[in-house]
Amino acid sequence: MSIEVSGGRRGLTDPVLSAEIMAAIPDQPLETQRKMNYFMTPRGKRINEYEVLCCYTQPTPDWIPGGLDWGDWTQKFHGGRPSWSNESTEMRCSDWLKHRDPAFRWHALYVKDKAEEWRYTDRFLKAYSADGHVRSMDPVWRDEVLGDYLGAFGFSEYGLFNSHSSVVRDCLGDTLRMSSAMIGLDKVDNAQMIQMERTFLAKLVPGFPESTDIPKNEWTKGAIFKGSREVVQQIWQETYDWNEILFSGHMVYDPLFGQFVRREFFARLSSYYGDSLTPFFINQMQLYFSQTKGITTDMFHTCLAADEQFGAYNTRLMHAWADKWLPRTLTALKDFMGIFSKIPEIKGVSDKPAIEAALHRVFDDWKHDFADPIGYQVNTAVLIKTVLSGLK
Amino acid sequence: MAISAATKAATDALAVNRAPVSVGAQEVHRWMQSFTWDFEKNRTKYSTKYKMANDTKEQFKLIAKEYARMESVKDERQFGSLQDVLTRVDAANRVHPKWNESMKVISNFLEVGEYNAIAATGMLWDSATAPEQKNGYLGQVLDEIRHTNQCGYINYYFAKQGQDAAGHNDARRTRAIGPLWKGMKRVFSDGFISGDAVECSINLQLVGEACFTNPLIVAVTEWASANGDEMTPTVFLSIETDELRHMANGYQTVVSIANDAAASKYLNTDLNNAFWTQQKYFTPVLGMMFEYGSHFKVEPWVKTWNRWVYEDWGGIWIGRLGKYGVQSPASLRDAKKDAYWAHHDLFMIAYALWPTGFFRLSLPTAEEAEWYEANYPGWYDMYGKVYDEWRARGCEDPNSGFLPLQWFIENNHPIYIDRVSQVPFCPSYCKGASSLRVLEFNGKKHSFSDQWGERMWLSEPERYECQNIFEQYEGRELSDVIAEGHGLRSDGKTLISQPHTNKNGKLWTLDDIKKINCVFNDPLKAL
Repeated sequence: MSIEVSGGRRGLTDPVLSAEIMAAIPDQPLETQRKMNYFMTPRGKRINEYEVLCCYTQPTPDWIPGGLDWGDWTQKFHGGRPSWSNESTEMRCSDWLKHRDPAFRWHALYVKDKAEEWRYTDRFLKAYSADGHVRSMDPVWRDEVLGDYLGAFGFSEYGLFNSHSSVVRDCLGDTLRMSSAMIGLDKVDNAQMIQMERTFLAKLVPGFPESTDIPKNEWTKGAIFKGSREVVQQIWQETYDWNEILFSGHMVYDPLFGQFVRREFFARLSSYYGDSLTPFFINQMQLYFSQTKGITTDMFHTCLAADEQFGAYNTRLMHAWADKWLPRTLTALKDFMGIFSKIPEIKGVSDKPAIEAALHRVFDDWKHDFADPIGYQVNTAVLIKTVLSGLK
Repeated sequence: MAISAATKAATDALAVNRAPVSVGAQEVHRWMQSFTWDFEKNRTKYSTKYKMANDTKEQFKLIAKEYARMESVKDERQFGSLQDVLTRVDAANRVHPKWNESMKVISNFLEVGEYNAIAATGMLWDSATAPEQKNGYLGQVLDEIRHTNQCGYINYYFAKQGQDAAGHNDARRTRAIGPLWKGMKRVFSDGFISGDAVECSINLQLVGEACFTNPLIVAVTEWASANGDEMTPTVFLSIETDELRHMANGYQTVVSIANDAAASKYLNTDLNNAFWTQQKYFTPVLGMMFEYGSHFKVEPWVKTWNRWVYEDWGGIWIGRLGKYGVQSPASLRDAKKDAYWAHHDLFMIAYALWPTGFFRLSLPTAEEAEWYEANYPGWYDMYGKVYDEWRARGCEDPNSGFLPLQWFIENNHPIYIDRVSQVPFCPSYCKGASSLRVLEFNGKKHSFSDQWGERMWLSEPERYECQNIFEQYEGRELSDVIAEGHGLRSDGKTLISQPHTNKNGKLWTLDDIKKINCVFNDPLKAL
């Protein structure tokens, strides 16, 4: 027979082709080691599917710790800067490929989760609208807080999203690159969910402004988000070290400012103003926050602070970065305190003691989850006092 | 609580219509362009000589959640096929052995391209100023993660279920030993991520994806299927559905710079360099993998190349960009010549260096030789008779003590590596257009095989300093190099690579190689 086949004949199903193929196949498999990436050290007892599909996809030479390749880059930037280099960060690591997403999410698992959230969001919005929940929402809360300030907070999420672009380009590890892209996508998802809520409200409440003009004006010119806008801009565009971008955004700014705004302001207060819509979206954001925390604490605590060779140095550097970004984040929170003068006060909910209690929850969580593991000393009472000085 | 006029209106509206309301993806996306804001230091961290327009739109208007829904549906179909019906029919053990070996290379090397494209599109996401354009690149970042995982899944599947797991199971560690790796890194890795951001986009999206993914990801499925492999079409065609959006991203990159004065000065030069960079490797390597890595042939590579590269890309796709001043690359004519013979030249060298691979290579059978001669007249006199000689000297038999590399040495046909493309060539024994050019810079000699690469090096030698395998391995004995690169099977002595796929043939061991005492030399030192 001719070895040139045409007409879409398939070797698996065409009897003639199949017979010839089967005759050429060894009687026994030639290799008994069937586990892909068998040479690697798994995070758990066995190599899991995430590790099979993600680990060692990064083709870096062995002079970038963890790499399996050799030699130089085959093409460099104009002027000779290398494709990837140890100098792209002040952090040091004995294995840049060590990071693992604690949830072991490769792409298929990540999009499956988010696709389910999208389907459920659609079902929820339909039920919410048909049920007429919107009638119970406090108009000031709805028109000013959700219309203006929630919209403005979307820009914080969008700016943080953009801070991941250079991390995705520059970071030195495969699993970290994938994690960074996913947590970046979660941030733009947050910004989009905020706009989705505003569009939804505009459909239900005639006259509710769907446009981003007012929130953008609040974000760029208003006093409440002045400090946060400046921090976000600094993380996004003034910080070149990809580890510092992740640290400042996800280990300082978002666990403090983001947590207070999302959890302690919008999610906590909304129910008191008859708003059961906002917590639906905020809870998705909080899920992403939780997943992101798992990723970034794995990187900064498990991989970098605990690195046998460079752990002590990395920890000192993290302290220096915390010293740099914490005061800026405090300013952001202090400015945000101005928002409480814009809403009708509810005793025990939005008065000073309640705000102080909320701040305690956020700062105590941060101390426990982020500062203590790297031995970073903070006096939360002093920090909270600084923030509270912004109350009008 | 006072009821505002708006609340009353909402209440009234509800009284009239209680139909459920939701928000579609497009209703969110239409606000995306307004998500950014101006501030003093808002600029990219990656320099480009072009200016991307602030109002550039994207063609595929996705939001994060809709993106996830779309990809998840495709994943369900793809992994359902792989894990259900293909596994039940034992499909991985019904693939022709030659093709099983080709997929060790194709899938892993494509994985490298996809992986680097994550970083490349991260850079473009940073470089673009328009939120919609950023969003288009962001979608691609996620796609490239998907494709990296998918390519890995092919090797994973073949390793777990197929006839020869070696090479599939450790390609990420063993791929760096042989002569095809560095060239692959140039096109699929560094060419995508190191340079002017727009130049990288042209490499990745305008050439790599719009031009070469058609033969690499689409045409390959026909070859796979003919040779019994239904796993590759299942995965690669799912990958290709995303590639359309990536081509659109490349198109939008050009649209975004179309009105920039720099475009009229530099765009066609960058396109020509990118095309030559990509074709210099893909034209011979894809042709080699298809024709020499298969038993059943679909059509001569030169026909595939002409259809996808010359007519579809060089004519139609570039033609569509003509209104933006884009012209077909000047090097397209030279590339067309390469499409006829370059893959035959490369196979000869790859086979001569077979012990450095992570896959088994086979010399053409008699019926395959007839097919080559019929489609490439003159093939036998140049290549076929040499293969007959190698076979007669026992190149497939571990007891022969003969490596085809010796034939090149005995006949004074030195093999060089092109500094810019890192592709090996033998100027004294080839039918392709390679010609030896040697230049000296900073006390080091550099060889080149064509004028286009030489021009790139002459204008920016600091970008192409990478050692080649002969410089790296100089003075070292072959079995040492293989052992250090982990080129052994799990028994610790048999090579992963072999010079045949004959099921009754003996397998070479490290000792067989050691006995030959083959020591690497840098051919440039002899000049």
